[in-house]
Formats: sequence, C-alpha cells, structure tokens
Amino acid sequence: MAIKDVWRRMTLLDRFLVGLLICAGVLAQIWLGSRPVGATVVVERDGRVVFQAPLDTPRQIAVDGPLGSTEILIEQGLVRIIASPCPHKVCMGMGAIQRTGQVIACVPNHLLIRIDGPPEETTAEHAYDLLSR
Amino acid sequence: MPMTSSAVNPQRLHQSRRSIFLALFIALAVVLHTMEALLPSPAPWFRLGFANILALSALFLFGSRAAWTVNLSRIAVGSLLLGNIFSPGFLLSLSGGILSTTLMTGSRAVFGKKIGPVGVSVLGAAGHATGQMIMASLVLLRHPGVWQVFPIFLLFAVAAGIANGIAADLLIELLRNHRSFQPSSLGENP
Repeated sequence: MAIKDVWRRMTLLDRFLVGLLICAGVLAQIWLGSRPVGATVVVERDGRVVFQAPLDTPRQIAVDGPLGSTEILIEQGLVRIIASPCPHKVCMGMGAIQRTGQVIACVPNHLLIRIDGPPEETTAEHAYDLLSR
Repeated sequence: MPMTSSAVNPQRLHQSRRSIFLALFIALAVVLHTMEALLPSPAPWFRLGFANILALSALFLFGSRAAWTVNLSRIAVGSLLLGNIFSPGFLLSLSGGILSTTLMTGSRAVFGKKIGPVGVSVLGAAGHATGQMIMASLVLLRHPGVWQVFPIFLLFAVAAGIANGIAADLLIELLRNHRSFQPSSLGENP
C-alpha cells in the first residue's frame, strides 16, 4: 500500500534521518511544553517595554503600533491578541500563551508580547543592570 | 540508424539537453513557488516547498551546481513575480533556501549513493525551517522567543519533506527512463 511504497523508496540512511528529525521535534516540543507557567505579561514595541502587567489579573488593553491599535486580552492566566490592524492576522492565529519565555509577535505592527517569570526576579535583574552598566 | 546530424558533437548535445532540462526545472519551480504562495497558510513560514522537488531532481540528475542554480533562480524569479523581493518574506525564503541547498548538496556529496531523494529532501526541509528561524530570530524579530514554534515547524517540514522526496524520486525515475537520459542516446539523433 501507500505507506509500504514510501518505505520502499527510502534508503536505510533516509529512514534513519527521518526518524532522527521526528524524534528531535517531538522531544523539543515536550521540553517546551514542560516549562513553568509565567507571572508577568510584557509588551514591547521595537524592543522598548510599553506595557507590563501580572498574568493572573484579567484585563483587556490596547497597544498602539505603527499600523494602529492592537487589542490584547489577558484572561484565565492566558494572553492572546484578539484584534490587530495587520494584514495577515498571524499574531491572532498564534493563539494564547502562558509559559515563561513564550512570545506572540506581530511583525507588521512592531509588537511583541512576552511572558516573564515572577516579577521579583525581573526587578532584581534590572537593579543589577543599573549597577553594572 | 545514422542520420545527417551525426556530425553533432555528442558532448555539445549532452550540454544543450542539460541546459534545456535545467531551464524547464527552473520554470516549473517558479510556477510551484508562486502557486504555493496562493494557498491559504496558517503562518507565512508554513510552506510545503513543492518547488524543492525540482531542485532535488536537478541534484540527482545533474549534480550540486544544478541544484544551486534551480533554487537560487527560483527564489529570485519567484519573488519578482510575487512582488515581495527584499521584503521579510523574501529574506525568509532566501535564508531558508541557502541553508537548505547547502545541506542537500552537502549530504549528497558526503553520503553519495547511501542517501536517496527522501533523505536529502527531509534534510533540505529541516535546513529550510532552521534557516528561516535563524533569519526570523536575528533580523526580523530580534528575539530568541520565536524558537518556541520551531519544533512544530520542524515536524511539519519533515512531513512535507517526505512527500516532496517521494515526488522527486518518482520524477527522477521517470526522467532516467527518458530517451534523453539514456547513455546510448548520447550523440544519436532519435
């Protein structure tokens, strides 16, 4: 059948490479999914922080980018973009995020939403940056 | 049977056949590249990469240089047609294409007959995904957070790579049985 035909057309090395890449992808996905849930929502515009809020407080905000206003919803510990003036709405399609290090990017509107860990960690880091720079 | 054109230099005949096939490959690759942009896609970087079928065929039938020719011409002409040359989409396409072609030609050179079209295609697809991610994280978004979508992206690329590899294998098989690719036909007028 079809699967058998596909198998027949692959050399031993082909099969090994396919297996290796699939394993790498699955393991990386499992690892990403096991990161801890974050605490702070940070919105950046061109690298500058324009908004910051705790993840556990429900709210809806509008952040302005070059194209217009992007609506961001924080609800039930999840962040998502619910409205955007960009042409392809890729950012809305990226869904909701909640884990540390996850991002939603809206390239056309120059916005990046990022989840950070607990706030005391970030403030300590900032204080240290002031001293060291 | 001997014909009037027996004076044709077999080497030259072989060369022109190669040029014609490469031109056809590039034309087909450009069409696939352009048509694919019309397909609905969940994200700009989720591409099926059908155009790579032609680069794979060029690699297995004519060698590394031919694969580079097909892929680079395809990206340049395809982007001109789509009107996105030098836009972010084009940069993603180019960085993916360069890393993918490097991996494909490299793996073929290293493993030779041990690796088939499917293996090369899958490596190329993974290279394309990685090249795009590197470009996205360093130039377009300048944030390492984009790598979070990489595993899904990679798995998708591997699936598309297997499909393209099978398609390329079928095409190569078909073309190897074609008269133009028979060693005996070299210098003979059909």
